[in-house]
Amino acid sequence: MTPPSPLSRLDLNLLVLLLGAAILWFVPAGMKSYGIYVISFWLVMSIAAMGLNLTLGYAGLKSLAQAAFLGIGAYTTALMTAKGGIAGPVWSWPLAFLASGALTFLAGILLGFPALRVKFHYLAFVTLAFATLMFLIFRNEQWLTGGVYGFPNIPRPTLFGVKLLNDLAFFRFLLVVTLALSVAMWWLLRSPWGRAFMALRENPLRAASLGVNLRSYTLLAFAIGAGYGGFAGALYAPMVEFIDPAPFAISASFVLLLTVVVGGQGYFLGPFLGAAFSYVLPEMLRVTGGYYLLVYAALVLALLLVSPQGLLGLVEKLRERRRVKAAQAMRDASKVMLEARP
Amino acid sequence: MTLTKRSLMLATVALAASLGAAAAQDAVKIVGVVELSGAGATAGTNYKNGAQLAVDEINAAGGILGKKIEFVVYDTQTNPGNTRAAVQRGVDEGAFAIFGPVFSGPIGASMQIAQKAGVPQIVGGEAAGLTKQGVTTLFRTSLNQADAMPKLANYFKDAVKASSVAVVWVNNDFGKGGRDAIIPELQKRGIKIAADIATESGQADFAADAIKVKNANADAVFVYLNEEESARFLRAIKQQGYDKPIVGETTLLGAKVIELAGAAAEGAKGHVGLSVDAPVAGFAEFGKKFQAKFNYKSDHNGIKGYSGMYMLKSVVEKTGKFDKEAFLKAAHGAVIKVKDVPGILIDSKWDDNGDVDRESFLAEVKGGKQVITGTLPPVNKF
Repeated sequence: MTPPSPLSRLDLNLLVLLLGAAILWFVPAGMKSYGIYVISFWLVMSIAAMGLNLTLGYAGLKSLAQAAFLGIGAYTTALMTAKGGIAGPVWSWPLAFLASGALTFLAGILLGFPALRVKFHYLAFVTLAFATLMFLIFRNEQWLTGGVYGFPNIPRPTLFGVKLLNDLAFFRFLLVVTLALSVAMWWLLRSPWGRAFMALRENPLRAASLGVNLRSYTLLAFAIGAGYGGFAGALYAPMVEFIDPAPFAISASFVLLLTVVVGGQGYFLGPFLGAAFSYVLPEMLRVTGGYYLLVYAALVLALLLVSPQGLLGLVEKLRERRRVKAAQAMRDASKVMLEARP
Repeated sequence: MTLTKRSLMLATVALAASLGAAAAQDAVKIVGVVELSGAGATAGTNYKNGAQLAVDEINAAGGILGKKIEFVVYDTQTNPGNTRAAVQRGVDEGAFAIFGPVFSGPIGASMQIAQKAGVPQIVGGEAAGLTKQGVTTLFRTSLNQADAMPKLANYFKDAVKASSVAVVWVNNDFGKGGRDAIIPELQKRGIKIAADIATESGQADFAADAIKVKNANADAVFVYLNEEESARFLRAIKQQGYDKPIVGETTLLGAKVIELAGAAAEGAKGHVGLSVDAPVAGFAEFGKKFQAKFNYKSDHNGIKGYSGMYMLKSVVEKTGKFDKEAFLKAAHGAVIKVKDVPGILIDSKWDDNGDVDRESFLAEVKGGKQVITGTLPPVNKF
């Protein structure tokens, strides 16, 4: 029995992605604004988690700054689109979206430099310092960011002459952007670059001996992961229409880290599952009344005790167990045949 | 499962559903969107409990215009994004009004949703900026900082007789708003700012800040922090042997602060908008009822929730129908007096911005209790 080739599994990923997007296009038609808001939020945080999944899950770099990148993207977009925008209602948002991605990509490269010198928890500290610094900038530079009072009246993007004020229209727009970014990520991971990232995680020494340039690939992993954070921020700002420093604080970076771990780091679909766990499940658990955060915390604990590899790791584990069982059954059967032979 | 069992269950479910529907028909839904966890939990829980007390009383007395109030509360975790989702949910569920939140940041993030839907939102926030943005659905239950701070600045000048003041504030929208409002008012009265000290929301150790205040050598210190932080600061500054006047606004003299700070709260004084210890008969009676029901002492947020619910009832009854548009029209400019609506607790007027005006009090902590030392008139007489 040959193990499934990584290629076929990735193709399954793409299939799930496309099918999921098609279903999601129609799902919220009957939903009210609250439901649409929750799944919109889920998509945005999935993008941010996808970026972190690349840095953490594929390249093995522990970053605690993803919410800071989200914040850079959100504030960049807010500044570029509010009050009429820098290029009118039509072009301001697309420009802001690209600028958010580019700016966070650059920030990722800058942050990636120390990442080359330190590893593991030291790297986590470096990113933690960066996240703190960004939070203080968001909060204290009131002339630029609005400080603790927040940044109000961030407009929704305009598409084909229509401002996406309608929640359903904005959700579908989000869905298309999310799909595009996911397909780009899927392509990246299948490309030689993606394999180099994985080689980097599994065994840096061997990767180097195979000709992978450690420095540039570490930088690239960090920068692309950060760029996805920026893209998510560019969507977050017009979704909420108001930002203040709180959602980009260090605790938010921890939640994003949890999202990737819970979903299953290094699995392509992990961030989507993880984001559903981190951002949608607490909303659903509200039926338990005052205990909902307690129930949620217990669920996280239980999951990570049972499967440290996250939700998709759990699926993999079950599949592996079945495979072992099948193999054992086969061995038992052949043994009987051997013994039965005279 | 056998067929009979299943049909029995189905019947039960159907019955329960129809009963629920029947109950919903003569009820009016009011959704509380409140900080029950996170940094605002103390304030939010008091606000919710105050509102709940009022709802229970109103329902026991037959409801509003014959309809019972169905009061549902959603936690915001003191997070603007979650608050927005919760307000949206309330609007989707057809709430007649949204009750909360209490912290100003989450109010700023969510008030546009209520505005868009035309749903009245009765909040506990004090930040000055909230009512300056042309939102027509927002109503405060406590004084605007911009109204409270001039009163406090006068107190510094006339009662404390300070010529320099150290200002300690919490770096969130509430604290920053208060700081930005008090400093020009003090300077206008010729009082020097000896130190301007920002602290963090949720900060645990205030020793460094206390030393800074002590070294500033001002005639008094103004403390503008949320409840828990106020208590921690009081303990820290008393450890430094500070003996100058410690002055605050509402939060510093709250019941929770006195409970947490213990002896360190002794002698703290200042201005309070609402207090169960104020020499107003309604407040005292409310305080007793609250204590009996929830087994702890309400702070000003409890009064806000309670009187806010009665404000809603009074305005709805004035319009004679459950009509949001009519409510908004009638609530702007509404004057509600205790002799007509005892639940309002203190004569109050709401202006066209949704700001509330009423009497307020000067208080001091003596013998582990808040003691009212004076009464200040409303900003504009009504």
